[in-house]
Amino acid sequence: MTRRNGHAAGPVLACAASAALVLAACGTESDAPGVADTTGATGGDAAAASCAGADGEYLIGMSQANVAEPYRQQMDDDIAAAAAEVDQFEVVFADAAQDNSKQVSDVENFLSQGIDLLIISPNEAAPLTAIVERAYDEGIPVIVLDRKIESDSYTQFIGANNLEIGRAAGEYVATELLPDGGTVAELKGLPGSTPAQERADGFREGIASNANIEIVAEGVGDWLRDLGQSQAEAILQANDDIDVFYAHNDPMAEGAYLAATAAGREGEISFIGIDALPIPSGGIKAVEEGRLSATFVYPTGGREAIATAEEILVECADVDKEQVLETQLVTQENAADLYAELGGQ
Amino acid sequence: MTTAATPAAEQSEAGRPRRFQIPERFFRLQSYVALVLVFLAAIAVSPRRGGDLVFLNSENLLNIVRATSEIGIIAVGMTFVILIGGIDLSVGAILGLSATGAASLLMVSDVGVVPTVIVILGLGLAFGAAQGLISARLGIQSFIVTLAGLQIARGLARIWSGGQGVPLAYGDGPGLAPETFALLNSRTFNGTVPIPALIFLAVAVIALVVVRNSVFARHVYAVGGNERAARLSGVRVTRIKVAVFALSGFLAALAGIIHAGQLNQGSPNDGSGYELDAIAAVVIGGTSLMGGVGTVAGTLAGALLLGILNNILALNNIDANVQLLIKGAIIIVAAGIQAFRSQRR
Repeated sequence: MTRRNGHAAGPVLACAASAALVLAACGTESDAPGVADTTGATGGDAAAASCAGADGEYLIGMSQANVAEPYRQQMDDDIAAAAAEVDQFEVVFADAAQDNSKQVSDVENFLSQGIDLLIISPNEAAPLTAIVERAYDEGIPVIVLDRKIESDSYTQFIGANNLEIGRAAGEYVATELLPDGGTVAELKGLPGSTPAQERADGFREGIASNANIEIVAEGVGDWLRDLGQSQAEAILQANDDIDVFYAHNDPMAEGAYLAATAAGREGEISFIGIDALPIPSGGIKAVEEGRLSATFVYPTGGREAIATAEEILVECADVDKEQVLETQLVTQENAADLYAELGGQ
Repeated sequence: MTTAATPAAEQSEAGRPRRFQIPERFFRLQSYVALVLVFLAAIAVSPRRGGDLVFLNSENLLNIVRATSEIGIIAVGMTFVILIGGIDLSVGAILGLSATGAASLLMVSDVGVVPTVIVILGLGLAFGAAQGLISARLGIQSFIVTLAGLQIARGLARIWSGGQGVPLAYGDGPGLAPETFALLNSRTFNGTVPIPALIFLAVAVIALVVVRNSVFARHVYAVGGNERAARLSGVRVTRIKVAVFALSGFLAALAGIIHAGQLNQGSPNDGSGYELDAIAAVVIGGTSLMGGVGTVAGTLAGALLLGILNNILALNNIDANVQLLIKGAIIIVAAGIQAFRSQRR
């Protein structure tokens, strides 16, 4: 777990090795961040200006909203794995534990450490906007991951589209699982979270092409396996005929599978989830082992973020303002390959 | 279920002359009355399937006990803690640590079922005892000690598993858990009664016998009623406190083992918020947060009440936000009756 500790040598090395960066980003000597901003350049321009190319050494700060969710832990792991392959990169991680003000101070600490690039997956948009703007205005390239901020003061946004993933799930049900129609039970994520809303809305768009599909029950599992299980138990009690369980994430789909197994009904029902994390407890393995019929990759963007960082810092290239990540359907046919491809251990 | 007159009940009946007509007996029966009312209400609003009430279906009733088993077991330990005027916020995190630890021992360390269970129960016992000792010896409120314990247990669980869930797979040989552990996820008596429900029943019976017959329980009530008086009359207060927190940790670890077995995985973030559900069960069961007054039987009724409530709301597809309102209202009513009762005394 050393990578989550503050890194002492990194900034010094980074500063020493890249003279061009000393003025632009190394805040270790003058930790009043404004002082470092001698050029007055904004992050986008500074990204090019401060690029020391392949000879540089770079400290990257990754500010994560909360590692208690397996998906976000995976995002950190993806970043660490991708960065390990780039000799010039050193990444320090911070976990805000779902606390906006902690995330603001995490970024402040990064700035004091003299990071060369900031990757942030904000807990919430509004509270993190000011600090991200400050970092960007100080000339530090910023990559925003998964959740947006309320301003365009960043270098690139990388994220997947939950509405699109919900739609893909709906289309899969409408065309592959139930082409002749049938009944669906839905297990929703935490009410009020945007992914839960978008995965529900998208799914309805996806099944709209098939008028014979009916959503007969909606349970709320708060993204959790155990709640998914007990909600599915109640749904199975109240409904004789269910063809598909559509869960907003894989843990809830697994919970529904456990409930159906206990009721002796797993053979008559298909289970689909979302996220497809390439870890032993993730959805790809569940598909490979036959518990789930399908899941949909919700990419973490971790590897893509490091690739973008490489373009900015090492190749001195301009990057697009937005990178939308595509979902992928995971079925029994491609599960094993995808697991390896996405870096599963 | 009639409880024998506990010392606490005797004490409250011996008090001042009555100003109200409501007999104390009613308050002692409060949680059972509420349980029966909720049960009847559930029958009244139960959906029907083929002319039968879904709620009264034996499988549904067994599902309720299964879903309640973990909170119920934790709540038994919590009752003793609250009886001595303490609180234990660490139980949910100990459950997560135990579930993760059990899965890791079985799958990664390839330890057998019996050693796994012994190690994990011992871990819970020791963790709880340490909290009790720190609280009693250093005179720190248990609220604070167990708040710290919550963080420590959660951190240990994440370190143990690398932050990710450990899935259980069964079979012979290395990297697989012995089939016997899968019993926790299965049913007995021709596949009808879930094993976790039986364990819950066993814990409940033992706890009821202990409360009724043991010196330990009398000392618990004495410490909770008046710690100074108890000390002066020869009760070893520190020893009782350590024992009570050790019991709470032990039962949380037991619930954690069941959790891993039921969900086929141990995940370091499991059990968040379980401590609050357990406290709610204790409060609905009529136990005073001031200590000294309450019963384990009441807690069991409280836990079942919450389980029935969760089930019937899910059977009827009630909006998740409305579910929260209803549960909150019931806790307020239970606590209100408590307050009314203690003012009267």
